[in-house]
Amino acid sequence: MTTVLTTPESVRELLAALAERQMAAGETPGAPAPDPVNLPMIRHWTAAMGDRNPVYTDEEFAARSVHGGIVAPPAMAQVWTMPGLGGERSPTPVDDVLAALDEHGFTGVVATNCEQTYHRYLRPGDRLVPATRMTGFAGPKRTALGEGYFVTWEVTWYASGEAVNSMVFRVLKFRPRERKSQPGIRKSYPLRPAVNRDTEFFWEGVRKGELRIQRCARCGELRHPPGPMCPRCRSADRTHVTASGVGTVYSYVVHHHPPVPGRETPFVVAVVELPEGVRIVGNVVDCRYEEVGIGMPVRVAYRRMDEDLILPMWVPRES
Amino acid sequence: MTIASAIAGIGATEFSKRSGRSELQLAAEAVFRALDDAGLPPSEVDGLVTYSQDANQEIAVARETGIGELSFFSRIPYGGGAACATVQQAAMAIATRQASTVVCYRAFNERSGRRFGQPDATIGGEPSSQGLEMSWHVPYGLMTPAAWVAMFARRYMHTYGAGSEDFGRVAVAMRKHAATNPAAWFYKRPITLEEHQASRWIVEPLHLLDCCQESDGAVALVITSLDRARDLRHSPALIAAATQGAGAGQMMMTSYYRDDMTGLPEMSVVGRKLWEMSGMSPSDIQTAILYDHFTPFVLPQLEELGFCPRGEAKDFIADGGIELDGPLPVNPHGGQLGEAYIHGMNGIAEAVRQIRGTAVNQIKNARNVLVTAGTGVPTSALILTTP
Amino acid sequence: MRTLSQGQIAVGTDLPELSIDLTPTMVISTALATMDFTPVHHDVAAARAQGSQDIFVNILTTMGLVERYVTDWTGPEVMITAINVKLGVPAYAGDRLVFTGTVTAESGGEYTVEVRGRVSLGDHAVGTVRFRPPGESA
Repeated sequence: MTTVLTTPESVRELLAALAERQMAAGETPGAPAPDPVNLPMIRHWTAAMGDRNPVYTDEEFAARSVHGGIVAPPAMAQVWTMPGLGGERSPTPVDDVLAALDEHGFTGVVATNCEQTYHRYLRPGDRLVPATRMTGFAGPKRTALGEGYFVTWEVTWYASGEAVNSMVFRVLKFRPRERKSQPGIRKSYPLRPAVNRDTEFFWEGVRKGELRIQRCARCGELRHPPGPMCPRCRSADRTHVTASGVGTVYSYVVHHHPPVPGRETPFVVAVVELPEGVRIVGNVVDCRYEEVGIGMPVRVAYRRMDEDLILPMWVPRES
Repeated sequence: MTIASAIAGIGATEFSKRSGRSELQLAAEAVFRALDDAGLPPSEVDGLVTYSQDANQEIAVARETGIGELSFFSRIPYGGGAACATVQQAAMAIATRQASTVVCYRAFNERSGRRFGQPDATIGGEPSSQGLEMSWHVPYGLMTPAAWVAMFARRYMHTYGAGSEDFGRVAVAMRKHAATNPAAWFYKRPITLEEHQASRWIVEPLHLLDCCQESDGAVALVITSLDRARDLRHSPALIAAATQGAGAGQMMMTSYYRDDMTGLPEMSVVGRKLWEMSGMSPSDIQTAILYDHFTPFVLPQLEELGFCPRGEAKDFIADGGIELDGPLPVNPHGGQLGEAYIHGMNGIAEAVRQIRGTAVNQIKNARNVLVTAGTGVPTSALILTTP
Repeated sequence: MRTLSQGQIAVGTDLPELSIDLTPTMVISTALATMDFTPVHHDVAAARAQGSQDIFVNILTTMGLVERYVTDWTGPEVMITAINVKLGVPAYAGDRLVFTGTVTAESGGEYTVEVRGRVSLGDHAVGTVRFRPPGESA
């Protein structure tokens, strides 16, 4: 969409029209579950939940029960079609609506309702296929979190064409409130980095829990601290990679004196060498300063310094 | 043909912890003394050079001292790295006839006024290139010169097996030299290695006694052509070489991202240039004034300049190499650790005294004296010689 | 293991309280057992980076715990037909999730239990679980 619309009314109309289209699109099937309903996953789930109901895992008990055999916990409905680690999420009609809300500043998201209906209990071997349709769009509404829209969708799970479970899910997409400084509530951390267009990507990454290293889009050179030009190939095309988040202490100091604003002494600052081939400076925390040494394995940890600033720091890790 | 130039006059205020005077007054007093030392009236001066960090504008110093018209004025950036570059700029101005007599000065109340060692939360706040550079460090509280240097020191210790005592021996030698220098703040106050080791931590691995003192004071130098200098009050200190240097991947005090963190590549840059310009080699130097705001950086300076192999400075120092009777007496006046911290300018004045043969701790046959400026930053250096 | 029959369940009955310590192991193992690998449910640094005070329980787990709360009480052979949850404050690791519940309705052999799951910050989940005791045809 290239429409340039800026008034709240026009944004509302634009979003409503998009939502209308997506709701009219009906049900969109997603990828089938990677595995059929199975006992091992049920066992992991019940163990984690602390659910000792024997109809889920005790074959003998289950056989004599009303179910006549092992059944899956109904609340596992959604588990079977989760994309899992590294899996691809199937596109749904809701995606475009959520993206448009992000684009118009409704970047906050909080789930508000989850309603599951179980038409029958699932048994090992059932292979589920989800299908999603968008069913509701309401707003803008004033909420405790800020102005926002409620987006609702419904997922139906099918097993061999039979609708076995369904779920209505609702989220509030809200425009985060402008943060007002509240003196006395939380003090502003005094040691703030200057940020400009050349370094913004790094701090944006930090806010998302990513340690970003500048990468030249042309020659691939990694560089930290970053800068506008690639010193190797002169390219101004920049991208970044997300560091693995591990490193080793290359050098370090223990600051005792003089007092530093916003800090309690003693504290440790280290030059950390990353396996990606760059170095970065940060504090080593969560250990006694006497335990820090050159070569110490560390991993990144993000610490909120005040309402606006998060700093990447380093904590010990097993080598 | 270039016009050879020389330092013809030196002047300084007393070195104190509380001057009780404005920085401009200190500057003017030092300029007057340097001109008197040279035997020149203020009206002869047509150029002024100072540090970017100096709070006294050239025109203000000219007004206070009656210098009058100026045809050349220049400022050198990068903190104490500017020291020898002020002389370099003056020599270039004279060589190119921009000026005939240039005064270099540095004046501050660094102890009673703004103290460089104190954290300044605003240094990382501006999106200038330096502010952005600082922003990779200051948010983590890495924001004092001692801390910046300590980071290098730790790596140097790790790589070369040096210990805190190796840094301590530098402090002990400087305080020993200062003990016999009446102008030094630490006159008659030497220290032992045990006292160094017992002094409190500032930023590990740096003890208090690894850090130079903080001083109020001013130093000024008069530079003119060698021909003119020959007719003045003292025998001239010929500027045999003067140069600036920044290393590849240089930052202000935080060049932690270069391949090696144990050296001072910028000092290697100026060293190579000094030897090339002067036609000398390390063995031609009778005494060196090495920048000593913190002890650890004296070691890589000795190595970068070629006075000893890499990693061996600790042995050179332990063997008495930098003491008054050693092969390379370093800072006979006591350096900034012992005499005063005037951002390196007092060291240039000492080099002139050594060339003249008038130093309190005079090194015999001091014909060639090498001087360095701030370490960890883009720096400068010079060699003074007897003409 | 016994399951409550229709005659043993009365509208107005309070369920016994269930208190669950939200240890990091609990939060992480349930997130992974529900195939939810979103970092905020297992990586403290990532959770803090996005403004949370710690890792927190994922929604699929909330649903599972609500279900468990009811079936722990009813016994194994009831048929759960629906769980509706209104989601509230996050349930952070280190906190404690306390469930309370009351049977509020019966209709055609299907019972409704109102469930409330509280943490130190307030209501984490409030909703209903519907079920049929055994022996009742659907």
